Amino acid sequence: MPEVSKMKKPDVKVVLLGDMNVGKTSLLHRYTERKFKDTISTVGGAFFLKQWGPYNISIWDTAGREQFHGLGSMYCRGAAAVILTYDVTNWQSLAELEERFLSLTDTANHDCIYAVVGNKADLTDPKAHLSQDLDGVSQDQTECEEDRTEPQVLSACPTPPASPASLSGMILHKQVTHEDALALYGRILRYKGLEEKSSLPAEKMCFETSAKTGYNVDTLFETLFDLVLPSILRKRNENQESPTVDLEECRVASGKRTKSTCC
Amino acid sequence: MSVKAFELVPAVERDLLMGDKARINIECIECCGKRLYVGTNDCFIHHFLLDEVTSSKGKLSYSAQKKLQKYLGLKKPVAELRAASALERLIVLCDGILFLVDMETLETVPSAAGGGAKIRGVTAFCINENPVNVDPFCVEMGILSSKRRTVQIYMVYEDRVQLVKEVTTPEQPCALSVDGYFLCLALATQYMILNYSTGAFQDLFPYNSEERRPIVKRISREEFLLAAPGGLGMFANAEGVSQRAPVNWSESVIGAAVCFPYVVALDESFITIHSMLDQQLKQTLSFRDGHILQDFEGKVILASTKAVYVLVPLPLERQIQDLLASHRVEEALTLTEGAQKNIPKDKFQILHKRILQQAGFIHFGQLQFLEAKELFRKGQLDVRELISLYPLLLPASSSFTRCHPPLHEFADLNHLAQGDQEKVLRCKKFLISYLGEVRSTEVANGCKEDVDTALLKLYAEQDHDSLLDLLASDNFCQLADSVPWLEKYHKYFALGLLYHCNGQDSAALQLWIQVVDGDLQDSTRSDLYEYIVDFLCSCSNVDLVWKYANWALQKDPNIGIHIFTKRPISKYQPHLKADDVITYLGKHGNALLLYLEHLVLERRLQKEKFHTHLAVLYLERVLLLLTESPTDEEKLTKAREKLQAMLRESNLYRVQFLLGKMENCEQLLLERATVLGKLEEHDKALHILVHELKDFASAEAFCIWASSCRESSYRQQLFHLLLGVYLDGNLPGNSQTAGGGGNGDLKMAAVDLLNRHGEVFDAARVLRMLPGDWSLQLLRPFLGRAVRASMHACRTSQIALGLAHSENLQLLHDRLKERKKPIFVSEKKGCHLCHNTFSEPDVVSLPGGIPVHTHCVAQRVKDSPTKRQLTNSSNHT
Repeated sequence: MPEVSKMKKPDVKVVLLGDMNVGKTSLLHRYTERKFKDTISTVGGAFFLKQWGPYNISIWDTAGREQFHGLGSMYCRGAAAVILTYDVTNWQSLAELEERFLSLTDTANHDCIYAVVGNKADLTDPKAHLSQDLDGVSQDQTECEEDRTEPQVLSACPTPPASPASLSGMILHKQVTHEDALALYGRILRYKGLEEKSSLPAEKMCFETSAKTGYNVDTLFETLFDLVLPSILRKRNENQESPTVDLEECRVASGKRTKSTCC
Repeated sequence: MSVKAFELVPAVERDLLMGDKARINIECIECCGKRLYVGTNDCFIHHFLLDEVTSSKGKLSYSAQKKLQKYLGLKKPVAELRAASALERLIVLCDGILFLVDMETLETVPSAAGGGAKIRGVTAFCINENPVNVDPFCVEMGILSSKRRTVQIYMVYEDRVQLVKEVTTPEQPCALSVDGYFLCLALATQYMILNYSTGAFQDLFPYNSEERRPIVKRISREEFLLAAPGGLGMFANAEGVSQRAPVNWSESVIGAAVCFPYVVALDESFITIHSMLDQQLKQTLSFRDGHILQDFEGKVILASTKAVYVLVPLPLERQIQDLLASHRVEEALTLTEGAQKNIPKDKFQILHKRILQQAGFIHFGQLQFLEAKELFRKGQLDVRELISLYPLLLPASSSFTRCHPPLHEFADLNHLAQGDQEKVLRCKKFLISYLGEVRSTEVANGCKEDVDTALLKLYAEQDHDSLLDLLASDNFCQLADSVPWLEKYHKYFALGLLYHCNGQDSAALQLWIQVVDGDLQDSTRSDLYEYIVDFLCSCSNVDLVWKYANWALQKDPNIGIHIFTKRPISKYQPHLKADDVITYLGKHGNALLLYLEHLVLERRLQKEKFHTHLAVLYLERVLLLLTESPTDEEKLTKAREKLQAMLRESNLYRVQFLLGKMENCEQLLLERATVLGKLEEHDKALHILVHELKDFASAEAFCIWASSCRESSYRQQLFHLLLGVYLDGNLPGNSQTAGGGGNGDLKMAAVDLLNRHGEVFDAARVLRMLPGDWSLQLLRPFLGRAVRASMHACRTSQIALGLAHSENLQLLHDRLKERKKPIFVSEKKGCHLCHNTFSEPDVVSLPGGIPVHTHCVAQRVKDSPTKRQLTNSSNHT
């Protein structure tokens, strides 16, 4: 990620949260590098700076491991969007979101938006094999079969990642339905003390994705980016109203005044 | 291979510090400029002068010279030392007591109030490097006290310390760092940020300080580096936000520092170096008994229990070169770009460009052309660096030499490909696309010749379609260098184009002609002959046209003549004189004919000479065909049609001359009649047509043609003439000579003529001419039409007369209305002459519109001697 080095000040922060092995890093990889590749268990956290039109959006990939749990609320501080990620083949991963990760978002912005994302949809849903971002998908279809097995090799991972069934391309049992995710979204709103009517609708904010095929990945990120734009603009406005005196601004203002008096 | 970013250089050896005393250990260090202070566990402070020595090979080493050592008299280890250089004071923490000593003498400074400036019960302290206070002779210091859950802020002066603030903390703090108002604290179970001015605090993350020693390190303005669970080095700013991703240390890190762009950390046996730019581990140095790692004014100093070392960063450029040498392009670029802030702008740009170029060549060597191209573009690579990799592509005349030190490790393409022809081919294809893209951009400025010549060579070698496009557009290909190359690949057409580009049209033509004639083989264009004709057609060098037109005309006069006929007429093209062309074409009969046709029929030049010449050529052709036996009727008909059309349409040819030419030929009667018609010898012409050819239709057509642009009376005259000819032959006197059938034919012809073209004739005249014995029935159509026509004419003229009359009246009325006002006559008005009233509407108006009785006027006229006056000026209403 050489782009990170460009030391641009990010305008807004998006954070990926979720249990280990649900595919947070893979989602980010798929979105930023357009491929599905080996990832190792994330240590601590990593982030990527995305240029979205004139804005810089930093996307934080957090570590799902219990060990780094304490850092979560720091990553979430000031976040404009949080992506709560679970694994559609693993009921526990959804439960963890509510039990462990939801409280980390207390430090996020008060108007933070939440997305509930079920990853690994390709394992349960044949339609998720058809990627929506067509570029560069077909050629790594072949290599990702092996990729998927890769996390198993890591001794550091206590939960069985993915499943051996994916090797044979079998359709796995879907443990988390879309309705479960919608219900969780409702509970998140309640936890935040938000009115369901005035918040973004659950249908819009619950996604099922596949980092492996790219299914829904662009849609997820781009939907969120569009939704955080107001947040960016507000932040920029706040910065403009900072106590620092902007000479340019003053000049413009005074220019206007002289104009109006002479009329 | 990792990066070699740092080198560990010994600064103070064990001998110099403690000699052979085994139990003495280093406890703390401080460095301030050249001055190095070392605190030991036997309560001594050692003062060294540290000098940097650079060997002739550029290798850095340190020589330490012991200045002083001082026993503090507390029998406890010296826990911490901090210099306040502006005050010339060293702040010492020993046995929980914090006090000041003189930096030079190491003598305890007596307090201004007496007794010495001391703070007791101190567990840790830190200096604020970004103090809010602006007094330069005062140092701000944060202190942790062993008894209370508080942080105290002190001001340190030359001879006293002053408590300025005390804030309580939720738990007992055990490590701290301060920046501005912000204290970063390690508490027993977590880290937090505390604003000592407002008292506001911000939790960072949990950490068990009893399990692992916490690290709180200020690294820049309002940013701290903290040891986090799982052996992470976390970054946190004053707002409690992490702006950089964490680095992954080992669990047992003792000390850490930032030496941009690296995070250096020390654990029990290693120094680890991570990049802050990509969080990757870059270098690991083995370091036994590591004890202290601290940075002083950008200098990273380490200490084991017995000796002191300096961690010297290698020059950035060398690090980058090391990375590039191991093909770690991304990292090299990240490092370069990350260092932008630390290097002067112009120097950075040069460095950055070079790194980009080198990186580009690394990708190129791995045949990753997309990446390579992007890097070349960003690095503004002198494109000749790339071309020079390909043997023989740069022109011999090119002044280019590769940059030194070299941007890559390849001698040439063969070296790079190791004999793999497929690789060579891919590289060539890449260069083709790359040069094609850059040749018209500023990248090629200053070396356009080299670029275009190289491109031409590649195109020729690879049999690329764009070769011709290159040569057809503006290009800078070097002639001398390209000729052998194009010849080698039989690209003669292209070579011709190149000659043309270089103004050597003659050479180009010679080459092409050789190809057309089959002396050279080049199948680029199957229509090369037509191309040459086109080329000559627009060629501005007249001499060349004269020289090569001959060849073209011999090959195919019908197309060859385009050289002359299709020549664009513009002021930029030298004009070819028609006379010269005609002279030139003398020996190419057919071509000459085509040329004259072009002049006369297409360009419609009104010059007698051309018209006569063309007519004569047509005539000669007809005559030639006539002499052939058997005659080709079809050809003859065509030739005659052309001749006839020419004779009819043109008014410029010399009639007598042509007439003379065809005098002797009995087969060309029709043509002769036409020519006679031109001479207005209509009777002769009609005589031929009627009596010799007996072609009445042609005779009629002749009349119409000959009078086509004349007034109708002329036509009438001609028709009468024709009628006369018909009737003359019909006279009884002539009937004997002309033979039986002929008379009947002529009669019928005359009748037909009258019936068909009755409207042209003057019927009365015709009737006088006709023999009396012709039946009325025979001439019925003519007569009927004649009567109707005359009737029609009569009535039409009557209508015209009536209309003209009424128009005249209308005009009179209008005129009157314009000129006169109405004259009112009533029974109450009196006549000016007799003063009686009017009883009738008839009045006479005197000048000025005065009505009077008619009889009064008549009376007056009778009486007046001057009656003219009155008659002239009166008007009847």
